[in-house]
Amino acid sequence: MTFSMKRMYAIFLKDLKDLSKNMFITSSMLMPLLIAVLYSRMDELSIDMIYLVINLSFSTIGVFVQSAIIAEEKEKNTLRGLMLSPATILEIFGGKSLVTFLLTLLTIILSARLIDYEPSSISLIAIALIISSVFYIGLGTLMGLLTKSVVEASVITLPIIFLFGFSTLLQTLINTYPILSFIEYLPNVQLAELAKEVQLGAGIEDIWGYLAIILVWGIGIWLLTTWFYKKKETAG
Amino acid sequence: MEHIIQVKSLAKIYGNQAALEDVNFTVEKGKTFGFLGPSGAGKTTTIKILTGQLLQTSGEATVFGKPASSLNKPQYRREFGVITDNSGLYSRLSIEDNLNLYCQLYQVSTKRIGEVLEMVSLSEERKKQVAKLSKGMFQRVILARALLHKPALLFLDEPTSALDPANSALIHQGLRELNKEGTTIFLTTHDMNEAENICDRVAFLHQGRIQLLDQPKKLRRQFAEASVCIELKDGREINVPAGPEGAKDIYDYFASDQVVSIHSNEPTLGDIFVELTGRKLV
Repeated sequence: MTFSMKRMYAIFLKDLKDLSKNMFITSSMLMPLLIAVLYSRMDELSIDMIYLVINLSFSTIGVFVQSAIIAEEKEKNTLRGLMLSPATILEIFGGKSLVTFLLTLLTIILSARLIDYEPSSISLIAIALIISSVFYIGLGTLMGLLTKSVVEASVITLPIIFLFGFSTLLQTLINTYPILSFIEYLPNVQLAELAKEVQLGAGIEDIWGYLAIILVWGIGIWLLTTWFYKKKETAG
Repeated sequence: MEHIIQVKSLAKIYGNQAALEDVNFTVEKGKTFGFLGPSGAGKTTTIKILTGQLLQTSGEATVFGKPASSLNKPQYRREFGVITDNSGLYSRLSIEDNLNLYCQLYQVSTKRIGEVLEMVSLSEERKKQVAKLSKGMFQRVILARALLHKPALLFLDEPTSALDPANSALIHQGLRELNKEGTTIFLTTHDMNEAENICDRVAFLHQGRIQLLDQPKKLRRQFAEASVCIELKDGREINVPAGPEGAKDIYDYFASDQVVSIHSNEPTLGDIFVELTGRKLV
């Protein structure tokens, strides 16, 4: 069976309608915006601080909201209904990720406006943000599949929000604790480093390494998610 | 007669625990097949294997002539429907929104929503939010959803286990109508009345093995005592041999105008199950 845009769009529309009535989810979107408002009162923001807000948007919307959406489907036995329908894995996760993707980008754009962030190259930063969102939404999907309820998903994603939201701050500890040097390769740190380069006038040829690392994270997480979903399909 | 489902020597083992052992049966096209057994007998495991949600440990299971495991592929999922007692709906959305999603997934016209809601007597509730439905209405929406794409084969796993008799009767009516239209039904239940009402053939499953398989009527006859029970006007109930040797007694009771009622001593399916396994169907 071929990919059906109509089926993916139907899942997207259903999620959009459902989310608009879900206060628990919609209120969680306010957290990165509140932090952006707080930061907007500071005189001058470094790229690290700007990307703390942006990475927090990725963690709270891309990971937390997506995991809650998937976990709720499991909790209410609606995911099994989708799995038993003619919808393919691409249509199911494509539809379910589209809402989160749009919400994530919307939150990032609003946050960037609030903190007056103006990248030197909007197109390069847009590419980096889109690739990053692929990783975060994939991570949220995996977290949702691994948990059984929205409450469980909320608890499990907390350390992830911390790791991917604040690890740019933890970079200062790498000199004291070399074991933490893996932090440099996390997608959020790569994104912040990329943004610094872009702000200094770098082009695509200077930043492809950062993009490649973020892309590898994205592909890796979706391969893991697909494997886990397939396993669940025949695990009863 | 064409067999929609064929199962040969099917076994499923979880760790050291056998959930199914040497299970054999066939389901004919257009018939309703009942899979009866208490909780934990292996009924749900069988449905999961037949719908491609679970792989068997050994044996063969074919559905529509294909290995059951292939039903896991999206292109085959249009051919069947599954209803379980814990099937879910999107509670914040209306009945119509829920069914509309599945119309898009199965690529059927949204006009079908009106038809299936009429079949389950929920036309008036179309705009109602799912969270506000009673358990009976909820289960009828699940049935309506499974009927949207007119499946050739419908699997029902304890569809009325939590319903009152009125709602169960509505579901049974819907299933009978569907069966008349040619849909093959595979039903698991521990409700003997449900099985007697709608099944053409039943299999008794106990501890992962089929103990008995036949038409309900034939099973009742097979296990019937060769006697009839006569209820007399003085309150007594007399068992009289059903053969020629009891004919004179029966005639005498009728001739003396003592008879209130007379009926054969046929057991229910539940009685037969208890006799076979020594345990009740709960």
